[in-house]
Amino acid sequence: MKSNNCFKLPFCIYFVFLLFSLSGCASNEMRPMYGLNNFLFQSSNSLREPSLGSKWLVALVNYQGKDQIEMIDINRKKRIPLPGINRADSQPISVSISANGERLALIRQRADQTELLIYRRKVASLQPIVLSPKGIPRRVSLDSSGRVLAVQVSRSGKWDVEVIRLNV
Amino acid sequence: MRIPNYKILICLISCIGLCGCFSRVDRLQGQFDIRNQEDPALSGDGTKLALIVDYKGRPTVELRDLRNGQILPLRHFSRNQPHSSPSLSWNGRYIAVIAQRRNRRLAIIEDRLTGRRYQFPIPGDRIPVRLSLAPDGSQLALQFAENGQWRVELFDLRQKIELDLPSGIGLFQSTSDEDS
Repeated sequence: MKSNNCFKLPFCIYFVFLLFSLSGCASNEMRPMYGLNNFLFQSSNSLREPSLGSKWLVALVNYQGKDQIEMIDINRKKRIPLPGINRADSQPISVSISANGERLALIRQRADQTELLIYRRKVASLQPIVLSPKGIPRRVSLDSSGRVLAVQVSRSGKWDVEVIRLNV
Repeated sequence: MRIPNYKILICLISCIGLCGCFSRVDRLQGQFDIRNQEDPALSGDGTKLALIVDYKGRPTVELRDLRNGQILPLRHFSRNQPHSSPSLSWNGRYIAVIAQRRNRRLAIIEDRLTGRRYQFPIPGDRIPVRLSLAPDGSQLALQFAENGQWRVELFDLRQKIELDLPSGIGLFQSTSDEDS
């Protein structure tokens, strides 16, 4: 009887330790969104520079050696067309999406120019944003409304961050 | 020679119309300081900016309040450098960063409301390069280098963290230390 008690106590301690360990593992786990991840994996062999809106993912996807901006509806696992945003003569560098998916900010290389632009999905229009003083944009981030953007700019060999509020 | 009134009116309307076509840009702030500043990320409400700055030669995340230019305190990002690819939730309650722990790169999210840190080691031997947090904090997109290719995967955080919704602004500001 006594020996049974001796066995039970260490087993309880072991069990409690096991529970703690398992709960510790569980708290560090992120749950992959398998369905969407499979869709992303099958739809392209190279995807980078992700930016999440409320229901949207935009990223740079590589098709036959050329980068393009792609927008994906996360819930429907479906590509959303972005007419006029990808051009044969330009290479996107950075992209960011507003929360409602209506506006995208992008940086692209075209000939010897690096351009910062806002794309409005409703009207499929691209609006250039002029940096003053001049600089070379490298990375962009848009707020949820799509009216404030932060840009990493190279000026005189130094990286700066500039915040721009758009009135239109 | 007298120009008819209707012509002046047409000219005026055309000028106003053309002005509307140009981007009207207000710069809130230019250079914050003399250090290199990289990887900007705005909060959804546009009031906070996370960026990577050189701190004693180590790339470190910094959080700024754009309304007054103040640096906001971060509890868990004074080490684990180099930091890269910061991302903010709607009200800036959550800040997600790729950081270094021993010889591993991992995603760390700080809840600025509770002070809690969520650390997410990446499954497998994959190296996270960039991340993006959904505006409400419900999802995290991670870019990996895998077999010589770039891949993006999404992770669901809804069971780990409380959502940071636009309506939560009042609650957060009243309890945060940034306004004190």
